[in-house]
Amino acid sequence: MPLNIVVCIKQVPAPEHFSKITLDAEKNTIIRGGIPSVINPLDRHALEEGLRIRERLSGRVTALSMGPPQAREVLEEALAMGVDDAVLLCDRALAGADTLATAYSLARAIKKLGKFDIILCGNQTIDGATGQVGPQLAELLDIPHVTYANRIEFVDGSFLVVRRVIEHGYLDVNLQLPALICVLREINQFRLPTAIGIIEAASKEIKTWNCGDIEADTEYVGLGGSPTRVVGVFKHKLERRREILEGSPQEVAQKAVHRLRELGGI
Amino acid sequence: MDFSLTREQEMLRKMVREFAETELRPREDEFAEPEGEWPYDVWKRMAELGLIGLIVPKEYGGNGMGHLARMVAIEEISRVSPAWGAHLRGFGLVPLLLVEHGTEEQKQKHLLRFCRGEIQGSLAGTEATGGSDMLGIQTTAKRDGDYYIVNGRKTMISRSLLSDVFAITMRTGEGVRDISTVLIESSTPGFQRGRVENLITYSRTSPVGEFTMTDCRVPVENRIGREHRGLGPMLSAINAGGRMGGAGICLGIAQATLELAVKYAKERHLYGKPLTDLQTILFMLGDMERQTMRARWLCYYAAWLLDQGKKSSEIPGEMAMAKLDASEAALNNCLKAVEIHGGYGTTPEFGIIQKFKTALDMIAAAGSNQISRLAMSNAAVERY
Amino acid sequence: MNQGNEVWIWAEQRSGRLMEVSLELISKGLELSQRLEVGLAAVLIGDRAEELAEELLAYGVGKVYLMEEARLRLYQSDVYANIMANLIYEHNPQIILLGATTIGMDLAPRVAAKVKTGLTAHCADLYLEEIDGRLQLVQVVPGFSGNLMVKIACPQRRPQMATVRPGVMEKPNCMEEGKGQIVRVKPNIKEEDFRAKTIDIVEEKPVGIPLEEANVVVAGGWGLQSAGGFGLIEELANILGGAVAGTRPAVDANWVPEERMIGQSGKTVSPNLFISAGASGAPHFTTGFLKSKVILAIDQNPKSPIFEVSDIGIVGDLRKIVPCLGEELKRIL
Repeated sequence: MPLNIVVCIKQVPAPEHFSKITLDAEKNTIIRGGIPSVINPLDRHALEEGLRIRERLSGRVTALSMGPPQAREVLEEALAMGVDDAVLLCDRALAGADTLATAYSLARAIKKLGKFDIILCGNQTIDGATGQVGPQLAELLDIPHVTYANRIEFVDGSFLVVRRVIEHGYLDVNLQLPALICVLREINQFRLPTAIGIIEAASKEIKTWNCGDIEADTEYVGLGGSPTRVVGVFKHKLERRREILEGSPQEVAQKAVHRLRELGGI
Repeated sequence: MDFSLTREQEMLRKMVREFAETELRPREDEFAEPEGEWPYDVWKRMAELGLIGLIVPKEYGGNGMGHLARMVAIEEISRVSPAWGAHLRGFGLVPLLLVEHGTEEQKQKHLLRFCRGEIQGSLAGTEATGGSDMLGIQTTAKRDGDYYIVNGRKTMISRSLLSDVFAITMRTGEGVRDISTVLIESSTPGFQRGRVENLITYSRTSPVGEFTMTDCRVPVENRIGREHRGLGPMLSAINAGGRMGGAGICLGIAQATLELAVKYAKERHLYGKPLTDLQTILFMLGDMERQTMRARWLCYYAAWLLDQGKKSSEIPGEMAMAKLDASEAALNNCLKAVEIHGGYGTTPEFGIIQKFKTALDMIAAAGSNQISRLAMSNAAVERY
Repeated sequence: MNQGNEVWIWAEQRSGRLMEVSLELISKGLELSQRLEVGLAAVLIGDRAEELAEELLAYGVGKVYLMEEARLRLYQSDVYANIMANLIYEHNPQIILLGATTIGMDLAPRVAAKVKTGLTAHCADLYLEEIDGRLQLVQVVPGFSGNLMVKIACPQRRPQMATVRPGVMEKPNCMEEGKGQIVRVKPNIKEEDFRAKTIDIVEEKPVGIPLEEANVVVAGGWGLQSAGGFGLIEELANILGGAVAGTRPAVDANWVPEERMIGQSGKTVSPNLFISAGASGAPHFTTGFLKSKVILAIDQNPKSPIFEVSDIGIVGDLRKIVPCLGEELKRIL
């Protein structure tokens, strides 16, 4: 029976450029302008999983992203991969949100999308890397969730068995739908968009919603709706010797081993 | 003037780059191995991604993204693997010939299969008498009812060992210009694949060689264009497909070697500072970028003109300049990159030499640099 | 703020043993609770876990809230979160610390959302600071670049919650016997609460020397790509009898498995000797080994930030230096 699948995706700074990101010392917010962006890598696996579920069991896949107008790009990529619908949640009021405020906003958007069966997310982003939004979103939608998922098996239309990794091994979890699942890289190999997919994406509309459209209570969104906030930054004092050795490879090797002995490293 | 690529073209570039980086680059060593089967899976994958159908309209199984999209795709593949860039160029030539000059029946019969990676084809005009000298061919065809009886030998044909279909030129009449073009299937009795050439880029992944046709019966319905009027279609495919494709390959090579040179110059330290601090090196890098960018805009412009509906015969100068400039940028960048890398310049692990080899082969690749010079100069004289 | 509000740590148990990180959190918990002049309690959910509760007391915890039931033996995300939330509503702790294990990272956010409070992940440090006239928990995480550290707080909502990676804090000493009390709480759970039900656990023996226990760790980064590959790292580690590790790019290139990744969202190690080769030293990586006794860094770019955090630095071609280093070590070891 057809399933309604929502995949939450995020646009993040390209990792090679992380060192160029600076912090606004006055506002204590991150300045990301001018840095190339990509779709969060794990989100591609989440989109792929959604597409595979649709291929096996039929249904619709909707990609949802909360971000600035530029985040349209990741939704276009999702459409090019083959998702049916794309929604951008964009509003200045949503900026500066911590994970709880983000989860709240996404929850409101998903409520507006209507009935859903499965929500998929990447387990964490490469920028914040908290891995918190998924579980918080599930809590706000009052549905169960599983994180660190590397395998999803459908038993029948209303429940799944999800394998989730632990440090050395895994747990198998019976999961009732509707539910939210955060996926790991090893769950699948995502597809590249094809040329046809790219052209067809151009003809699909990306809906853009703001706070009013999703009937979000402004008290719970954005910087103001975030229980946590940045209260300062500082430079970490690193007390290391910072000796740089010079010479030919053999020379530095000898000097290094000698020094390591002296310092008690070996 | 809006110089930006369309969003779709940008997304295509991104996808092809990722394909090249994640699926071709890790297999470089495997592709360089002299023994083993041809990597059919890469061809199928390119088809799956829609790269062969870029210049085939949707109604025939392609996606119709166009010549500029094809230029970008070939450039991106060649940036990682010029050999596969050359193949992508080759895969599109017979399809392009059909799109531009095929009958409705021919298009319906073949194009979908090309786009899907079920069959592959090669243009086969060149003979021992020359490639650029298209009128010098000696392959003959005698009409026999609904068939031509074809006899001849073609040389320097890309993927001679692999293609299922060859578009050949043959003499069908008395006059020196009475040349027709037909599609001949390799399964035709009398068709015999021959030896492969030892080109510098030869590897089992890039077989270039010859084949002979002895009393081959080719249906007249396989003819492209009118009888005795086969040169036009063939030239058109060679220009819009071969020459432009060759330009794309050279662009990719120029770009790759530029990136390699810059990376090396930033990391390598001499006299206590990076090479980029030495003005000689710095200027070399600047010139490499300038040449690459200049070639790129000529190439994109020519491709854009084709997408605007210009026929190859209307823009010979633009296409010629594009190929010539891209070829020179590739050769120059390879040479400079070797210089900048010093002693490491010709070692395999720095990747320059492999690209240099393809750049050398591209000099003669259709349209050759000298023919391009001819076309460009004639066009200039005509213009004013 | 009611001074009776405790500091809690979540004590994670798996297969009849307490996770190391839960014990590590106790020292920080003690430090915070003492400064705040409140008690330190541990929250333990499981089955037949009395011995584990005793162990927690022996490490210095003043109280253990123990919820035992057969159905709670394995981690049950929905139900554990409900239990914790109910406990929070009843006792109003002001701080809760959880180990950032794969399970801690599953439980903490759900609980935080349930009680509508803030949560900071992977804290490098925790301490109390007066903000707006109150002692607040400052949660420190690395910034994007350089040695920038970011301070986060949860000024309004309570409890203040934070997760900490294993290896960041140190276990306190274990006493002969604890002096605290065990408070048994009957978990009120119904079968329909198990919307996500863990039915099985499979544990595998880790391969190779666990990073946390190794005396020597040799980590490789993306720079090895152009230096002939990860084999250089493995050889060096072999010669030193150490453990092999890598940066995020090394994991993505499949040179090392995810569990051998060093960094903020990976492992934190503090071996006697840490060697980094081919990694430029992004803060997400370096935060994972800053407490090592001696740090040796090798990279080809003299401007790499890795040299700021090392004791000994070698600039040059990895392909030549690493083998020479190996030879020299073989000679004297």
